[in-house]
Amino acid sequence: MIALYNQRKWTFLSYLIALVMMIPVLIMLVDGIDASTQLFGHLWQTVLPDYLQNTILLGVFVVLLSLIFGVVSAALISQTNLLFKQQLRWLLLLPLAMPAYLVAYLYTDLFDYAGPVQRNLRLWFDWQSPTEYWFFDLRTLSGAAVMLALVLYPYIYMLTRGAFEQQDQSLMRAARLLGLNAKQTFFNVALPLARPAIAVSASLVLMETLADFATVQYFSVNTLTTAIFDTWLGYGDMAAANALASVLMLLVLCVIVVEQRGRAGLRHQSSRPNMHKELIQLSFLQQIAASVFCWLLVILGFLLPFALLISMAVEYSNAEQLANLLETGINSIKVSVIAATVAVFIALILGFYQRLHGNKFSHLPQQISGFGYAIPGTVLAMAMLATFAPLDHWLNDIAEFFAWQQPGLIMSGTIFAMIFAFVVRFSAIANGTIASGIKQIPQSLDYAPATLGMGLIKTVTRVHLPILKPTILIAWLLVFVESMKELSAVLLLRPFNFETLSSQIYQLISDEMLEQGALGAILIVLFGLLPIILLNRKREH
Amino acid sequence: MTTLLEINQLSVKLQDKHILQQLDLHLCAGEILGLVGASGCGKTTLLNAIAGFAKLTDGVIQLDNRIINDGELMVPAQERQVGMIFQDYALFPHLSVTQNIAFGIREYSASEQSLRIDNLLTLLKLSDHKDKYIHQLSGGQQQRVAIARALAPQPKVLLLDEPFSNIDARLRTELMLEIRQLLKKLNITAIFVTHNKDEVFTFADKMAVMAEGKILQLDSPVAICQKPNSWLVADFLQLGTWLTCKLNRNELSTPFGSLNLTDSELEYITRRVSNVSNANLVLLIKPQYLQINESLTVNACVEHISVTEQGYHYQLSSIDDNTRKQSNVSLYSQRMLNIKEKVALQVKPHPLLIFSQ
Amino acid sequence: MLKYIIVGLLLVTSFLSSASSEVNVYSYRQPFLVKPLFDQFTKQTGIKVNVVFAKKGMAERLAREGKYSPADVLLTTDISRLVELREKDLVQAVNSAVLKEAIPAQYQANDNTWFALTTRVRNIYSAKRLGNIDFNYEDLADDKYRGLVCTRSGKHPYTVGLIASMISEHGEEYTLDWLKKFKQNLARKPQGNDRGQVQAIHQNLCDISLGNSYYFGKMLTDDKQKVWADEVYINFPNQNNRGSHVNISGVAMAKYAPNQANAKKLMEYLISKPAQALYAQTNMEYPVRKGVPVSDIVASWGQFKADDLPLEEIAKNRKAALILLDKAKFDL
Repeated sequence: MIALYNQRKWTFLSYLIALVMMIPVLIMLVDGIDASTQLFGHLWQTVLPDYLQNTILLGVFVVLLSLIFGVVSAALISQTNLLFKQQLRWLLLLPLAMPAYLVAYLYTDLFDYAGPVQRNLRLWFDWQSPTEYWFFDLRTLSGAAVMLALVLYPYIYMLTRGAFEQQDQSLMRAARLLGLNAKQTFFNVALPLARPAIAVSASLVLMETLADFATVQYFSVNTLTTAIFDTWLGYGDMAAANALASVLMLLVLCVIVVEQRGRAGLRHQSSRPNMHKELIQLSFLQQIAASVFCWLLVILGFLLPFALLISMAVEYSNAEQLANLLETGINSIKVSVIAATVAVFIALILGFYQRLHGNKFSHLPQQISGFGYAIPGTVLAMAMLATFAPLDHWLNDIAEFFAWQQPGLIMSGTIFAMIFAFVVRFSAIANGTIASGIKQIPQSLDYAPATLGMGLIKTVTRVHLPILKPTILIAWLLVFVESMKELSAVLLLRPFNFETLSSQIYQLISDEMLEQGALGAILIVLFGLLPIILLNRKREH
Repeated sequence: MTTLLEINQLSVKLQDKHILQQLDLHLCAGEILGLVGASGCGKTTLLNAIAGFAKLTDGVIQLDNRIINDGELMVPAQERQVGMIFQDYALFPHLSVTQNIAFGIREYSASEQSLRIDNLLTLLKLSDHKDKYIHQLSGGQQQRVAIARALAPQPKVLLLDEPFSNIDARLRTELMLEIRQLLKKLNITAIFVTHNKDEVFTFADKMAVMAEGKILQLDSPVAICQKPNSWLVADFLQLGTWLTCKLNRNELSTPFGSLNLTDSELEYITRRVSNVSNANLVLLIKPQYLQINESLTVNACVEHISVTEQGYHYQLSSIDDNTRKQSNVSLYSQRMLNIKEKVALQVKPHPLLIFSQ
Repeated sequence: MLKYIIVGLLLVTSFLSSASSEVNVYSYRQPFLVKPLFDQFTKQTGIKVNVVFAKKGMAERLAREGKYSPADVLLTTDISRLVELREKDLVQAVNSAVLKEAIPAQYQANDNTWFALTTRVRNIYSAKRLGNIDFNYEDLADDKYRGLVCTRSGKHPYTVGLIASMISEHGEEYTLDWLKKFKQNLARKPQGNDRGQVQAIHQNLCDISLGNSYYFGKMLTDDKQKVWADEVYINFPNQNNRGSHVNISGVAMAKYAPNQANAKKLMEYLISKPAQALYAQTNMEYPVRKGVPVSDIVASWGQFKADDLPLEEIAKNRKAALILLDKAKFDL
């Protein structure tokens, strides 16, 4: 509408935040330009094509599987007379709470040769050796794809179900009057209309897949992430590693472009969701098959791994672990609380900037600052080191010059860098949640307080913030949970004597000793459930 | 009566588009002004300019002898003492009815607050709902809350942006009368925007017709209806149908016979239209000034018939005598006519309203 | 909101404050391996040991931190890493008679920039069903073991070290060929850790694997893993020629160590008899200090001949080894 409030300070602050959050990425890109072509050439001639191929294959597999899992379950829940619909509606979201690396480990443990499944099969059929029967090998590219899809499909399920439920029912009625039956209407109207939502969520899944590092590493699937690690740690060539990371980022950028287009399409959806919806009636057999499909997703994605964790915890936990858990748990919570708070704070500043400074470019800071989501944690951690170490030096040099006490590595050597990485990575989540919350506040509420004698700051604090309270809570929790799960940045940036739940679990997993950390893993999962429960409750009302 | 709101030479430009152009407006204390005009004519922007939500490119706004907008000087909206009722009411969903009303008077003493709130709750018959939240109220009740909230700080002028558009048609007139009485009782000066002229007739003391960022005419609704000052005004208000006509000295020839203009009518038209004899003139004709005169030759053809409580309502087209464009008119009659039947129409003598198109 | 910020700031600042008498360790070694040693050290000296454990990116971090790095002591598990630290000019020479005397000459740098603490052998584990065989590393490429060999990632430092020693012995051309054939012999793609390979033998997935010596000892003392270990022999390869490949775990002092005195104390403690004994007993490693006995289990494997290739030679060939691994697409 009108440029209502034109406070320069706010504009300045918004762009400053966006810039600060972009700096690590820029530095990484600049570093990458110096990469030695020699090493690059060697990699390109030997393993890089395979890595790239693996990366792309993994991405394609995960997205395809997640689409099958997510779109089908969303359609069944919102369009048919499925059995146990009310329960499945929220149960299907639960796998979101499971970190992929955890599921990967638990299933390997379960399905390995020595695992209970194969052991019992051998007992029943009296097989002696692995040559006598075929059993699938989980530690493959497709295995990794299944693991990732099992915990990532809820993104697609959530957004697609939302799209189905928000669809204007008069469109469906029009289709029926034009001679289509319920099923035809779904395939010819509802599904095409949901396409933007499906595209957006699929791109989320793809980004998460490209950012994954622990699962593929555990499964020995060599992807671009492997290549980054190799060049950095093996060959000790940071510049080449940065160049590879930039390639990965370019891949992700492509995904973002697709996603943005999808979002543009989303705007055309009108909503009149309150009208009664006619469901596709499944036959009894179809109902059973559909229910089994959904229940399998819930069981495989959440219930089974969670049960495995609990049984591990029951069997192996002891008092020493509890004390340890307390320490690492508090560390995890500490950094996650700070990261979530900062991210939400930034999201609010940028969200209100966009809302109240109605000019053409006011969405820019928000978009720029959300870019970090596309950067895998490992890459981001490298960028943090590249950014803050020189800054620390500079600070210390200044202190030295003025003969002050030198502060030491106050940025790169403390949890600061770690939290900064979390904030850069997860700001997009907070931004998205807060922005959609703000969008739901009628524009007139921006103006009404002024007619009642209230200035800008008070308008925001007295009107917008209270209305946004539930949204803020959800945004906060989402970032909190993601931070609890985040691994790569922690591994590379943590300071002295500092372990988080995720880094500890990862180490135990790489030593094949997750039993020792089962309690911590349960804790991460339980925290991950909080926003799901909350989101679900919000939708119900 | 003293002038409360005075707007001179107001211009507003948004994204290189002139929304308001050198607009003047004077409003006396206690008056209710209805702003009408086609959508996009700048009504809402005018309200926003008065409230302080739109940046002026030129002009001065003066409220109660205080300049609130003049070039670079722009008193912030929250310091203008201007109240506003939004089209969607803009009630705060996180606050109760009482809290909503108290919102603008939070700096007053608690006793003053409760006094004003109680008064308003009673006045607007909201006492039974004072602790409810907005989503628990009906549309009409929400509007009352919006009014109470806007009135609580006792603004100098109350702006209403299409306040009745969300109200059920059956309740609308009743509600309008009730609110008008309330505003009159409290001697509130108000400007309200609508695209429905009937609301103005019911609700306002004065009426302003806007088009393309300008006020075409500002007067009492009756005066405007009787004497619209331009074709645009009369056409927008749909005061009647148009007969194309030609003026020859003081004789006006219409498709339905000739009429003689009085001196004052002639003066009125020549003052506004140069080269009267060549101009494309139109006569505003209201249905009651047309009659069927069988002694004349047929000059109209029945195109459409509908039934009303006043008898039959006919739409007729003129049978062209080749020089003029065809005119379509409307006629109420007790007589039964058939479709495509040809009849002879005559314009009754009456004060003539002639415009150039 | 403001409250959270304040709490956050307090948390950050509380983290920055540090005790006066302390020593900071960057460790590649896992916490549970070295923690008992540090606890003992603190008990003896009152010096607090701060540790950050990371397998990855330590050198990079040190380099970025430069002269403001808080690191004093660097603990690593591979000669290549120690040499890499020196090449990147991240460590300093330590002149300590204690270290000099206690550690055999081949297990410390000529310029005093690094010191080995323990040695470990890259063993070949073989299924007992194969019978007793005298293995050479070269045999891993032998056609008769087609589909019978398991190993962890070739990129793991322990394997890279072995390949580097192969390059020293046979040259790059032979080694590449060996790697390719080795790869053909693999029963499955390189994955897991050294113990996982023994487990795979136990599961009949393969018959032969590569593994460090101490893992065998550790598996024998673990209830669950003893079953696996009982199925295999631990072999010391190349006993009839150059000897088994030996790598070290070692220690170095960071170039800009702020607590040099404490760092030296810690380093000297780590080579002391009690510390070396702890390494031997709990970690089943071979202590470098003469006169400190190995654990009973390790002793039961008997004496062996170690490859006397200078350790720095292994480090020198590290990059070449990595390139060969890529060329052979060993991990793919």
